[in-house]
Amino acid sequence: MSGFAVALTLKNLMWGFLGVTLGTAIGVLPGVGPALTIALLLPATAGLDPTGALIMFAGIYYGAMYGGSTTSILLNTPGESATIVTALEGNMMAKRGRAGPALATSAIGSFVAGTIATILLTVMAPIVVDFALKFGPAEYFAVMVLAFTTVSAVLGASPARGLAALFFGLMIGLIGLDSQTGQARFTLAIPELLDGIDVVVVAVGLFAVGETLYIATYLNREEDRLETMKGSIWMSKSDWSRSWKPWLRGTALGFPFGTIPAGGAEIPTFLSYAIEKKLAKNPEEFGSGAIEGVAGPEAANNASATGTLVPLLTLGLPTTATAAIILAAFQQWGLQPGPLLFETQPLLIWGLIASMYVGNVILLVLNLPLIGIWVKLLEIPRPLLYAGILIFATLGAYGLRNSWFDLALLYIVGVIGFLMRRYDVPVAPVLVGMILGPLAEQQFRRALAISQGDLTVFVSHPISATVFAITALVLVGPPLWRRFARKGTA
Amino acid sequence: MTARAPLHTGELLISLGLIALGTFVVWETRSIAETQGYAQIGPRLFPYIIGAGLTLCGAVLAWQAVAGGWRHVPQDEAHDVPDWTAFAIISVGVLLHMAIIGWAGFIIASTVLFVLIARGFGSRRVVRDAIIAVVLSTVVFFIFTLALGLSLPKGPFNWG
Repeated sequence: MSGFAVALTLKNLMWGFLGVTLGTAIGVLPGVGPALTIALLLPATAGLDPTGALIMFAGIYYGAMYGGSTTSILLNTPGESATIVTALEGNMMAKRGRAGPALATSAIGSFVAGTIATILLTVMAPIVVDFALKFGPAEYFAVMVLAFTTVSAVLGASPARGLAALFFGLMIGLIGLDSQTGQARFTLAIPELLDGIDVVVVAVGLFAVGETLYIATYLNREEDRLETMKGSIWMSKSDWSRSWKPWLRGTALGFPFGTIPAGGAEIPTFLSYAIEKKLAKNPEEFGSGAIEGVAGPEAANNASATGTLVPLLTLGLPTTATAAIILAAFQQWGLQPGPLLFETQPLLIWGLIASMYVGNVILLVLNLPLIGIWVKLLEIPRPLLYAGILIFATLGAYGLRNSWFDLALLYIVGVIGFLMRRYDVPVAPVLVGMILGPLAEQQFRRALAISQGDLTVFVSHPISATVFAITALVLVGPPLWRRFARKGTA
Repeated sequence: MTARAPLHTGELLISLGLIALGTFVVWETRSIAETQGYAQIGPRLFPYIIGAGLTLCGAVLAWQAVAGGWRHVPQDEAHDVPDWTAFAIISVGVLLHMAIIGWAGFIIASTVLFVLIARGFGSRRVVRDAIIAVVLSTVVFFIFTLALGLSLPKGPFNWG
């Protein structure tokens, strides 16, 4: 509760406001996401007070969700994968002149979902923290391995590509000085590599430079069609009655998926769409602008985003690329999210959570009446947009230590990102591997140091053993399931 | 489906690249000085595992590439007509920026970058782009150096 006192101080309110405004503006722009934005702001915020800066980052995270929905509804090319589903019905509604209600249901649904999800977060956090206080290095290592497995081998089309991306990220994390022994690893006699490769360079390289190269090379042929906002923004009574249940169902779907390390927002949003279609009174409307198809997935999207903060704050476990970057932000100030942080810095954590409630309210206000402003941003011509993005990208990379080497790395990572985009290799595992890898190695070596080299420590501890069992299940479950399902229908 | 052949070449090259990278990692690990530490777990274990993992994934992907292509890659006709000129122009922009920022300063380097990127995306209005670039770069320069305390190279201009 004292968190609210922190969140409502004028200074932090200002940070929150800045965050959600920036986040919405960024979320609206195609080609930029919350992960990239936060990564770019990391160096600029290094000298600031962590509470205010983290509040701003949370605001950016939320705002980007809201902003991304606006783009999906008004433009025929959605920004992030989580908003693809919104584009299905939302863009159709816009084409029929119903952009206003689509935007409204999306904003209000996001608000409902975000607020409920934050309440759930508030309730769940102490419970998980209590449990996590029993964790030792073996347990942490087990949980990190679970996170690695789910982010690379469970989601997405190809475990092989996901794992390749994960190992690549882990490798990048290796470069630099070993934290336990001070040995230089993989620095190739280049002094700039002694501190390792900064997460900002990798994130910005993959997201900004890689994306820019990819779009310019492959997707620059057509102009996007921007639907105008005719008519009023308000929803009719029937719109409301058709929306409120999907909002709640979407939240119920999205939050659990966000909390488990298997999440990401694609699954809950697609599930929500399918469920809404099944439950709708007029399912034939789906495909030409059914409002349930916007309300449900949008709520699911937001709830899932809040859900990812549960493992991140309570265990220090990032389950998406954005979460990994937020973790890197914490690390920048020497803070390690987890049960200990709840004990040593309760005001920071609870202030952060309280600011999310406030942020949701601000976003609702920002996004409905001020929608016209955000739409203007969508009208920036593509060449200028990407040119501007790269200015900030190079600024971010160069500003780290004024070294041209970082810019060279930026380009190299950018080309790698281009190839990854082109050949459908997922990006999230690289970031999770890079940021979580060194921590996992630390825990592994600590666990073995304590057990005097006894490897069975990972299975003799009950929690650790259970987590590894879950990991194994998660790995072999789906393929086995598919095989049985095929036998059943054969 | 005649576009499948070039797809496999790219995939195969990337897979081979992964194998090469993994092998390199394993090989480089040998030159990391091993300190005994506790229980023989030193700074070499994880690099070995990671190198092995990279090589293994590379091998699996290489095998997939020659046996019908990587699994479940979504087909996208956009991939059949790459605009390598755009790629080249943008690459030149980024690399040129890297080369000149040290002595030309942030504003000039960023202007060059902006104009080239815009050109890469097809913008023909070089003068308009240059003006926008200068204004944007200058504004950003001052916000980040004065308000946020970053130190960016001034180049030939000397103020403050």
